[in-house]
Amino acid sequence: MHPANLVTPSTAAAPTIALQAESISKAFVSGKQRTQVLDGLSLHIDSGELTLISGPSGCGKSTLLAVLSGLQKIDGGRVLALGSELGQLDLHALERFRLQHTGFVFQGFNLFPALSAFEQVELPLNHMGLSRQEARERARSSLEEVGLSHRMKLRPSELSGGEKQRVAIARALAKEPELLFADEPTSALDAANGQMIIDILHRIARTHGTTVLCVSHDPRLVVHADRVLAMEDGRILSDQRNHAPISASKGISS
Amino acid sequence: MVALARKTLVYEWRRFLPAILAVGFAGLLQLLQLALVLGIFGSTSLYITGSSADVWIGYPGTQSVGQGRSIDGDVESRILMDPAVQRVEPYIWVDGDWRGTTETGGVSVFVSGIDPRADGLMFSKALPPDLRARLAQPDAVVVDRSDLDQLGVGIGQTATINGHEVRVVGISSGLRALGGVNVLCSLDTARRLDSDAEDIGPTYLVAKLRDPTQADAVAIRLRGDTAFGPYTTWSAHHFARLSVRYWMFDTGAGAGVLFLAGIVFLVGAVITSQTLIAAVNGSVREYATLNALGVGVGALRRVVLEQAFWVGALGLLGASVLGVVLLLLARSQNVPVVLTLPAALGCIVLVMGLAAVSGLAAMRSLRAADPATLLR
Repeated sequence: MHPANLVTPSTAAAPTIALQAESISKAFVSGKQRTQVLDGLSLHIDSGELTLISGPSGCGKSTLLAVLSGLQKIDGGRVLALGSELGQLDLHALERFRLQHTGFVFQGFNLFPALSAFEQVELPLNHMGLSRQEARERARSSLEEVGLSHRMKLRPSELSGGEKQRVAIARALAKEPELLFADEPTSALDAANGQMIIDILHRIARTHGTTVLCVSHDPRLVVHADRVLAMEDGRILSDQRNHAPISASKGISS
Repeated sequence: MVALARKTLVYEWRRFLPAILAVGFAGLLQLLQLALVLGIFGSTSLYITGSSADVWIGYPGTQSVGQGRSIDGDVESRILMDPAVQRVEPYIWVDGDWRGTTETGGVSVFVSGIDPRADGLMFSKALPPDLRARLAQPDAVVVDRSDLDQLGVGIGQTATINGHEVRVVGISSGLRALGGVNVLCSLDTARRLDSDAEDIGPTYLVAKLRDPTQADAVAIRLRGDTAFGPYTTWSAHHFARLSVRYWMFDTGAGAGVLFLAGIVFLVGAVITSQTLIAAVNGSVREYATLNALGVGVGALRRVVLEQAFWVGALGLLGASVLGVVLLLLARSQNVPVVLTLPAALGCIVLVMGLAAVSGLAAMRSLRAADPATLLR
């Protein structure tokens, strides 16, 4: 990497807020047991950054991700994503919002066994109103971007775990979302594959200006994030910025 | 568009096979049952459909061809007075007791006495002209090939009906009857075989019209005159339907068909919906992921419905192929099977309806495809 990149990445110069949570609270009720998962939490996430939420299991980090991505409703407070208040959107509008603006990468790869890597990526694009030509073009280029240009025709059963996760990332990436949510994307992978996924997420934030919000307790991710939020018991304990973000790749972390 | 429904069906065919088989067998069962019932009960109107008469004249209240009583032969002149009528000929029905040359015991036979002239109306479509001509010989009878064993005779052999000797002069096909054996002879022979002293005239008169399309109108016009004793008239089409309907409902066969259709539908739908539900559950995380990416629930439902459609279509295809083979086999064995277009359409509707209901049931399990559950 060039030293010039270490100084000020252009997006960091005037960050806009991509996601904003204002004193949000969320509780789960199971029988008579009520568990407060998020309690008056506020934060904002800048666009074009790779933000990592880490914390012990049960600290509410996945719930925070679900709430910020519009997959789950909150009990109180408000969530603004790209300027839209998610609480005001009905189910259909939320689906449209997610279709237009968000990508997801989950811990399990969740690929259809019957479809080839290429079709997995093309499928959601079919629903975005793109022409067939453009959908296929986007699918091809995003699979190339994750280094799977030679594996496009293969089904999940013929791919390794790391490759499957890369297909899942390509599926999210091909939508060209402003927001990319990743939930423990490396936890089912070995070290080498995990590192590759981290690098890809990293690059997406950098080159596409995508806001990447990642939930993970994988320590390898910490050094790659622009910002690390540590959570515990539904609250944010610490909020750290890596001052040599993103481009601080393997050379610096080792 | 990525054909998710079809690709999944092909790739995971083992998963869908039980549903396809269930739909297929449901269709096949229904098809064969209908064909058999139509075939068997269709034979109760053979006397009408196998003849070229347009209007039938018989005793009032007759519910099926086999239950006629004799009418006054003079009615013929009344019928002939109508300008629309071209020709009238008598038809005599005699219930007989057959004793063959071998030990067969008593066999109940339906003797049809017909005009054996070449242009005779009765059985003009069912009886070949050479066999018809042979009936002109005294005491000559023609029987169906499939009844030979039951009657214990062969061609040229003699037997007795109601104590009178008859001789088998010909063997035909397509004359099978329900609940007995059809025996064809001339009017003269039939009169000799009739042991009932009360029978004073023919059982029926059948008429040929100058314009066959007028059958219903003429039949209505000819009714209601009692100057020659009691009689009534039907168009051939009406009387045939009356006969089939009488058998369908009198024997409970119609209710049986409907009952079995219900059972078949229920069992088929249970198996098919369970299979489709299992298929949806097997891919629920993938569906949830698509929903997270913004693919609407409606689009996911369409995938499930499309799968149900293909399961129905494949089941139907299998049922059709097997059904045709079995129907041909049945025909070759003289089993009366008839498949009409409405019956075939009914089966198609039943099968596709079954698939649709199963698809709708399976769609409900998409509720579990909540993307929030993927975040753990």
